Amino acid sequence: MAVADQVQRRPPAPRPQSDGRLERERLRMMMLIRRFEERTYQEYTRPGQKIGGFCHLYSGQEAIAVGTAAIFDKSKDYLINGYRCHGHSLALGMSPHAAMAELFGKATGCSHGKGGSMHLFQAEVGNNGGHGIVGGQIPLGVGMAFAQSYKKTGGVTFCFLGDGAVNQGTHNESLNLASLFKLPCIFVVENNGVAMGTQVERASAEIDLAQRGCGYGMPHYNIDGNDVDVVITELGKAKEAAARGEGPTYIVANTYRFRGHSMSDPLKYRTKEEAERAKLRDPIKLYQQRMKDNGWINDEQIEALDHQAAQEIDQATRQADADPFPAPEDRFQEILAEKYPLEK
Amino acid sequence: MPAIQFREALRAAMVEEMERDETVFLMGEEVAQYNGAYKVSEGMLEKFGPRRVLDTPISEAGFAGLGVGAACCGLRPIIEFMSWSFTLVCMDQIINNAANIRYMSGGQFKVPIVFRGGNGIAHQLGATHSHRMEAVYSRIPGLIVVAPSTPYEAKGLLKTSIRCDDPVIFLESEKMLGEMGEVPEEEYLLPLGKAKVEREGQDVTLLSYGRPLQRVVRPAVKALSNDYNIDVELIDLRTLRPLDVQTIVDSVRKTNRCVIVDEDWGYCGMGAGIIQKIQKPCFDDLDAPIEYVHSDEIPVPFSHPLEEAMMPSVDRIIAAVQEVCYK
Ligand SMILES: Cc1ncc(C[n+]2csc(CCOP(=O)(O)OP(=O)(O)O)c2C)c(N)n1
Repeated sequence: MAVADQVQRRPPAPRPQSDGRLERERLRMMMLIRRFEERTYQEYTRPGQKIGGFCHLYSGQEAIAVGTAAIFDKSKDYLINGYRCHGHSLALGMSPHAAMAELFGKATGCSHGKGGSMHLFQAEVGNNGGHGIVGGQIPLGVGMAFAQSYKKTGGVTFCFLGDGAVNQGTHNESLNLASLFKLPCIFVVENNGVAMGTQVERASAEIDLAQRGCGYGMPHYNIDGNDVDVVITELGKAKEAAARGEGPTYIVANTYRFRGHSMSDPLKYRTKEEAERAKLRDPIKLYQQRMKDNGWINDEQIEALDHQAAQEIDQATRQADADPFPAPEDRFQEILAEKYPLEK
Repeated sequence: MPAIQFREALRAAMVEEMERDETVFLMGEEVAQYNGAYKVSEGMLEKFGPRRVLDTPISEAGFAGLGVGAACCGLRPIIEFMSWSFTLVCMDQIINNAANIRYMSGGQFKVPIVFRGGNGIAHQLGATHSHRMEAVYSRIPGLIVVAPSTPYEAKGLLKTSIRCDDPVIFLESEKMLGEMGEVPEEEYLLPLGKAKVEREGQDVTLLSYGRPLQRVVRPAVKALSNDYNIDVELIDLRTLRPLDVQTIVDSVRKTNRCVIVDEDWGYCGMGAGIIQKIQKPCFDDLDAPIEYVHSDEIPVPFSHPLEEAMMPSVDRIIAAVQEVCYK
């Protein structure tokens, strides 16, 4: 977490008055995502492996997805993402069953088993997908914001990318286009310090990634991505600015991923000390502490939330496991929207 | 019927569809203030304003992807490329995103977008600017590939492409934009996925599309008829994906002979793909192996005579037709 420690962060937001109800829901969601990912890890690694392909876990970064969901308007906002997309999808309301069934390649998965772990979509809530090509989703996000601006829907697009994606050509093209056209697009770089095994300092000549948003005529700054309240406040401000027609914002949310890049990653590039230090800033632990300090929750209730989350995930996983695979002939479905020859 | 230029036919299609449907917009390099690098979009900025006719920076991946994202969210973008050769820098947006999002989302999205621009060898632009991209895109499930050969075809096919709910690769040619052709004044649309039997004949089926059809195939057909007494059935494929296999097979069953002409490289070229589709259904009907006339397997040279020499010519086509007719 070298880089995340070095860069200057925005100070934590002042806490609004609250009875703790919303906060409990956010905590519940972060814990649900953590449980989902840990179960995914088990299902991937256990004998008779039920999940195939590349699979990237979100554990450690939950505050960013959950903070975004807190300010997300499902009736008009969009979210688009790279392949590390389980957390965002759950936070926007995808059922753990639809997500797990997709990981299993089942017909009941959110994409009918045609997308898999890296490509979770839920159009009806504005979840415009996980995308597997590093940086490939950034222009799409700009286009979604273009549609919002063109149709004057008042919605905004949250376009997520990793610290590795910052080095793709599309990053430059997209930031420029979004700002040039003053589009309601909020770029959120989830800086977990490493792209696969390449640390930020070995990939980016400028280690303060917020500076990579420099030169496009838009605000660009670092925030603490492990603090859900900070995420809510800072993304909220960017969202308001975008909705006012002030154009895009570039936010680097500094965080840490607890698991390997994907399931095959032995994490050789990390020291135990680094991982231990990162655990002290576990976004879930931080939030639990804050809520306890505010008297919104106690240990028993936290225990109960965790138990509930584990049960929900267990049920979803069992259901997904029992579900059928798509019929072989389904592989020909959903390629084209029209029938050909096409007369109009 | 009035005769208009190919570029005017394209423009008319875009203008009519933009008047008809608010969600259609045009975006690309130099399409607005400059009036189009090849003047296809001349006057459109003035007519529709900067909200619907947009100049972009030189960022093919950026604006191609922008178009795909916008298409996923209810708009119908027309994305103009100065040349299909330049899509080599943004193929990810077309092949991974435009073509796959519908499938990978289990049908949750449709991607109604038209990518259009000049394809192929456009006279002395050198190897980097002369790519024939049809075989590359015609391989991709999820894409529709269209190549008009006259102003009439261009207008009717582009209008349908803009109304189509799938991503369309629309292949024009810089060298054809000034060509004149008759285009009806009243509205018409042409079907996608349907080839056109342009000339009926008994002796041999000739398949082609787009620029080579206009540049060398039509003159060759005339010569074959006038000077060689060979009665050619000429098919304008119009849509390269999905290929109208039925129309081709029906024709070959009648003539028992087939020659394909394109300007692609032969190996894994467009014609090679077409042969793979028809050789089995036509095997018992063929009196000769299918001939494939294509460009030489070299980078496209700059020098005029060399460039000319690499491409299919009337003579090469006549020779191929004689070969399959054993004449
Ligand atoms: C164009 C492309 N190149 C390489 C890969 C392989 N790959 C997948 S993820 C990844 C690392 C990306 O890291 P980052 O952007 O930091 O995101 P994170 O995994 O940390 O969420 C790489 C190299 C890919 N999917 N796409």
